[in-house]
Amino acid sequence: MPISRFETERYQRQLMVDGWDQERLKRARVLVAGAGGLGGLSATYLAEAGVGYLRICDSDKVELSNLNRQILYTAPDIGKPKAMLAAKRLYAQNPEIEIDAVQDTLTETNAGELAAGCDLIVDGLDNHAGRLVLNKASFDLNIPYIYGAINEWLGQLSFFNPPKTACLACLMPGDLNAPERTPVFGALAAVVGSLQATMALKYLMTGEIPDANVLLIFRADTMAFEKVTFERRPGCEVCGKAAPSGTRR
Amino acid sequence: MTVFLKAGGNLRAMIKPDVDHYTRKLEIEGGKSIGEILEHISLNPAYVALMYVDGAMKDLSYKPADGETITLQPPVSGG
Repeated sequence: MPISRFETERYQRQLMVDGWDQERLKRARVLVAGAGGLGGLSATYLAEAGVGYLRICDSDKVELSNLNRQILYTAPDIGKPKAMLAAKRLYAQNPEIEIDAVQDTLTETNAGELAAGCDLIVDGLDNHAGRLVLNKASFDLNIPYIYGAINEWLGQLSFFNPPKTACLACLMPGDLNAPERTPVFGALAAVVGSLQATMALKYLMTGEIPDANVLLIFRADTMAFEKVTFERRPGCEVCGKAAPSGTRR
Repeated sequence: MTVFLKAGGNLRAMIKPDVDHYTRKLEIEGGKSIGEILEHISLNPAYVALMYVDGAMKDLSYKPADGETITLQPPVSGG
């Protein structure tokens, strides 16, 4: 899928980046699950970079308390559906790409359908239960999953694609006993969302898994990054089971 | 032997830091697991999402060596 002269001008500065593959990005299809603090940010950078197709899924409407961190929305948007607004704003930023907005809640029933046909899942959710649903769909469909989450001064992310890596359920299988509304602020959401987008772009252009089995933790209160290694859990209820034949690469 | 517990988020106050803002020093008998250490300080492990030592993920059965720092990660679930 060649890029046009107009696209060559739009992407001029990134085309100068060593190893950049704009044509491969143009062919790529990504599900961004959640269009809040993390998803809004990562989707913005994926759109600006020229990822050819984005599917943005979010069931929420914009609330005043979202505006400390969710850069796609403004005060007049309060009460309006996020997925539609996000698609509109992202398309305005880059009309060269295709964007589908899905205003729906991610569930065990629809997760597979939402992720189907995508090359990558980027996590923009705000709860661990939803992330486990996403993780399961990622495993079932063999679509890599870039996890990200924030809380107070802590942010963390990782890349999951069993059997090449562990999965989220290997690491955190159950309920985290987290409050429904966690303390979060915009700059940290931007750091983690941006790192997720960077990881996504690298993977989409090279097919290489960045930092397999590593949880990257950012401690914003001390400005420290830590890498923590982990392994697949043999008894994992998601990826520890035998895979259906023919579904794994 | 001496071990250090380090925590951020809502776990930080639960470990009662005494070395710095995030760290508590503990004198314990050798051979104790992380689970036993948490029990020793009356910290319910259900509040701990992850734990790691020297850049490697561990579980409650891990028995730290003298001088090691166990980092306890609270639930990180927002977005």
